[in-house]
Amino acid sequence: MSHTQDKSSALGQGVVIFVYLAVLTILEYFVAVTFSAVSILVVVAVIKLALVMYYYMHIYKLNEESDSDTHSYSYKTGSNRLGLWLFLLSDAFVFAGLLTVRINLLGLTRPHLNQLLGLGVTAILLISSFFMNRGETLMANGDKKGFINNAIITFVLGLGFLLGVVAVEWPTAASEGLTPGSGAAGAVFYMMTGMHAFHVFTGLIFLLVVINNARKDVYSAEKHWGIEAAAVYWHFVDLVWIIFYPALYLIGKLLA
Amino acid sequence: MKKFFSTALAHGLFWQLIGILVGAGLVTGIRATMGLSVTAKFFFTEPAWVLGGFFGVLFFIAGSGAVSDWYKWARGIDTPEHHEDHHTGWEKYLSVSLDHKVIGIQYTVTALVLLSLGGLFALIFRTELAQSQLQFLTVEMQLFGQNGPQLYNTLMSLHGMIMIVSILLGVAGIMNYVVPLLLGAQDMAFPRLNAFSYWIAVPAAVLLVMSLILGGFDTGWTGYPPLSARAPVGMQMFFLGVFTAGWSSILGALNVIVTVVRMRAKGMTAMRMPILVWASVATSIIALTATQLIGLSFQLVMFQRLFGMGFFDPAKGGNPVLFQHLFWFYSHPAVYVFVLPGLGVISELLPVFARKPLFGYRWIAMSSLGIALVGFIVWAHHMFTSGMNEYLRVPFMYSTLLVAIPTGVKFFSWVATIWKGKISYETPMLFVIGAIVVFLMGGLTGPPNATVSTDLHLHDTYFIVGHFHDTIFGGFVFPFFAALYYWFPKATGRRMNETLGKIHFWLMTPSFFVMTLGMMRIGLLGMRRRIADYDPALGFDNTHLVLTIAGFLIAISVCVFMYNFFNSIKNGEKAEGNVWNSRSPEWQVPSPMPAHNYDQPFEVVGEPYDYGLPGSKYVEFIAPSKNTHK
Repeated sequence: MSHTQDKSSALGQGVVIFVYLAVLTILEYFVAVTFSAVSILVVVAVIKLALVMYYYMHIYKLNEESDSDTHSYSYKTGSNRLGLWLFLLSDAFVFAGLLTVRINLLGLTRPHLNQLLGLGVTAILLISSFFMNRGETLMANGDKKGFINNAIITFVLGLGFLLGVVAVEWPTAASEGLTPGSGAAGAVFYMMTGMHAFHVFTGLIFLLVVINNARKDVYSAEKHWGIEAAAVYWHFVDLVWIIFYPALYLIGKLLA
Repeated sequence: MKKFFSTALAHGLFWQLIGILVGAGLVTGIRATMGLSVTAKFFFTEPAWVLGGFFGVLFFIAGSGAVSDWYKWARGIDTPEHHEDHHTGWEKYLSVSLDHKVIGIQYTVTALVLLSLGGLFALIFRTELAQSQLQFLTVEMQLFGQNGPQLYNTLMSLHGMIMIVSILLGVAGIMNYVVPLLLGAQDMAFPRLNAFSYWIAVPAAVLLVMSLILGGFDTGWTGYPPLSARAPVGMQMFFLGVFTAGWSSILGALNVIVTVVRMRAKGMTAMRMPILVWASVATSIIALTATQLIGLSFQLVMFQRLFGMGFFDPAKGGNPVLFQHLFWFYSHPAVYVFVLPGLGVISELLPVFARKPLFGYRWIAMSSLGIALVGFIVWAHHMFTSGMNEYLRVPFMYSTLLVAIPTGVKFFSWVATIWKGKISYETPMLFVIGAIVVFLMGGLTGPPNATVSTDLHLHDTYFIVGHFHDTIFGGFVFPFFAALYYWFPKATGRRMNETLGKIHFWLMTPSFFVMTLGMMRIGLLGMRRRIADYDPALGFDNTHLVLTIAGFLIAISVCVFMYNFFNSIKNGEKAEGNVWNSRSPEWQVPSPMPAHNYDQPFEVVGEPYDYGLPGSKYVEFIAPSKNTHK
C-alpha cells in the first residue's frame, strides 16, 4: 500500500478540513438566526457533505487499484470497502426517509428547541470527527499509540454527544411540552434524533472494539481495515447530523 | 432426532423462545414497577411482545452461531477464511454453513416451505370464497382470538406477506447458488454475511407466523394506517417480521453486488457476463436501497402504536398518505426484485433449449437495469385513489407506462431467440415458455391499472389480484420452477423425473390461466378484493367455485413437484455430466459441484450465448501450470 501523502501533510489536511467545517457550521447558524434563507442552508450543508465524504471518508479509495491476487489483504480490503459503502448507501435511505417525513409533516416550520444546546452537540460531534480522522491517519503511519489516544478522545466526545442528545436535549424539550406524543413535530424530533443517536451508539461500540483490538496489536500501518471501517462509519454518522441539524434546528419558521 | 437438536436451527429456535421470554419479561417487570398493567388479552402486553419479538431475533442469531466468527473478530481473534462443514448429511442444511451452495439450497428449501404455507392459507380462504355467505369461517367460530371473518382477513394478509418473503428467499436462493458459479468465484464476497442473511430470515418467518396466533391483523399485507394503528397485537409481530426479513434481503443484495463487481473470472467483462448476473445486480440495487423504506414505514407505525408518536395520525398533525408513499417506494420496486431474476432465468435458459444465440444481448442486459431504475419513480400509481395531490397522478401514470419499454425489449428478444430455433421441450423449457406467456398476460393487463382513468375503476378489485398473480407467476414462480428443474442436477448429481415434471407443468398452467382470467373477469364486473364474503345477487358464485377448483389443482400440481423434488434427491436418475448441453461454465465440470467450486479457474474467451455457432467458445479452463494463484 503506497502513501500518497506524508504524515505531516495528511495531519495538516485534517486540520484544514476541520476549520472549513467549523466555519461553515458557524455560518449556517448565523444565517439561520439572522435571515432564514433555506437555499443558503442547503448549499452549505451540501458543501459540508462533500468535504466530509472526500477528505474524511476518502470515498476516492473506492477507485484504488488493488492487488491482482484475490486472496491478498489489499484485495479483500477493496471488497470490504465497497461493501461498507453499499451498506452506508442503504442506511442513507433510512435517513432520507426520515427527512422526507420531516419535510412532509412540518414543511417550512420547525419545533421550538434550545439553539445553544443544538449548536453545542453539533460542535462536539464535529470535533470528534476531527480526532477520528487524526487517529486513522496516525495508524496509517504506524503510530498505534497515537491512534489509541485519538480514538479514546473520539469515544469520549461521541459519548458526550449521545448524552447531550438523550440525557439533556430530550428532557429539556419534553419539559417545554415537546414530547413524542405531543404531535407531528414531537414525533419527528424524537424519531430523527433517536434514530441518529442509535447509530452514534453503534458507532461507539465499534470504536470500543477497534480500540481494544489495537491494544492487542491486531492492526499495522498496512493492515488496519477495522480501523478504517470504524472511522468511515463514524464520519457517516457525522454526515447524517450535518443534514439533520439544519433540518431540525435551523430551517423554517418557529412553530407557535 | 438427537441429530436435529444439535443443529443451528434447533439451537436458534430454542434461543428465540428464550429471547421472547426475556424481552417480554423485561418490559413486564418495568411496567410492574411503574404500576402499569402487566397482562393483556394475549398474556403479555403489546410493548412486552414487541421487545420480546425483537430480543427473540437477536437471541436466535446469537444462539444459532451465525455470528460467532464476527464475535471472534471483535475480540481480535482471527478465523480461517473458509470453514469446512462439520456435518455431511441433511444436518448440514440445518447448520450454519459458509458455502454459498449450501446457503443457496437453504434459501430455496425455506422458500418452498413458506410457499407451501402461504399456499395453504390461500386454499383455506379460497374455499370460504367458493360460495357466497360464510360457510366455515363464520362469525360464531373462534380461533387465536379471532372470529371467522377476522381469521379470513389474517390469512389473506399473511398469504400476501408470507409469499413475498418466500419469493425474496427464492430469489436469494437462485442468486446465491448460481451467481458465484457463473462468475467462476469460489464463494460470495462475504461468506459470513451470506450466512447471516439467510439465518436472520428464519426468526423473521417465525414472527410472521406468530402474528397469526397473537390475534392476527386485518389490514392486508400493506398494513396501511389508520387501520394498522389499531389492529390487534399480531400487527406488531407482522411489522417486526417484515422488518427482520428486510435485513436478510438488504444484506444479501449487498453481497451479490460486491461479488459481481469484485470476483469475476478473468476476461469476464461487463458485456460478457451472463444475463442472470445482470438481472441479479439490477434486483440487488433495488433490494439494497428501497427495502429500507418499508422497514422505516412499518417502524413508524410500530412507534405510533407504542409511544403515541403521531406520524400518521391526522388528529396529531400526521398524514396517513405519507405512509403510503414510504411504503410503496419499496413495495412497488419490490415486484421488480421478484421478477428481474426470473426474467434473467428465462433469458439464461432460452438459448440453451433453442440452440441459438440470445437475440440482442446488450439490450437485454440494459433492460434489466432500465426496469430497476424506472421502477424507483413509479410508486404512486398504487395511490391514484388515495387522496394524494391530484397533480401527481399523470406524471406517475407516464413513468409507469415507461416500464413497458424495457420489458418489451425482453419480449422481443425472447421471441427472436425462439424464432427458427431447434427447440427441445424438456421440463425447464416448458416452464420458460409458460413463464413468457403468463408474464405476457401480466404485462398486458398492467397498463389499464397504470392509466388513471381506468385505474379509478379497477382499484381494489379482483382485476388487480388477477393481474398481480399473472406478473408474479410469470416473473417468478414459473422461472423459479424452471431454474429448480434446470440446476437440480448441478446440486445433487441427479435429475428430477421428466414425466412428473411434465404433469406438474400441464396441470399447473391451464389451472393457473383459469384462475387469473376468472379473477380478472369478476374483477371487471365489480368483485372487491380482500373481503370474506360477497352478495349472492352479484352472480359470482359459479366463477368463484371455478376459481377455487383451479386453486386446488395448482396446489395438487405443486404437491407433484414437491414429491418429485424431494424424491429425486435420493432416487433420481444419475446426471453428472452436461445434462442440458449448456455452454455455461458450471456445466463444464462434473456434478455435484465440489465444496470450493472449480478446481481450475477459467477464462472467458467468447460470448456467453453463441449457441449453434461452429467453433465458438465461452470459457476455457486455465491449466494448473499457467495458473498464477495458489
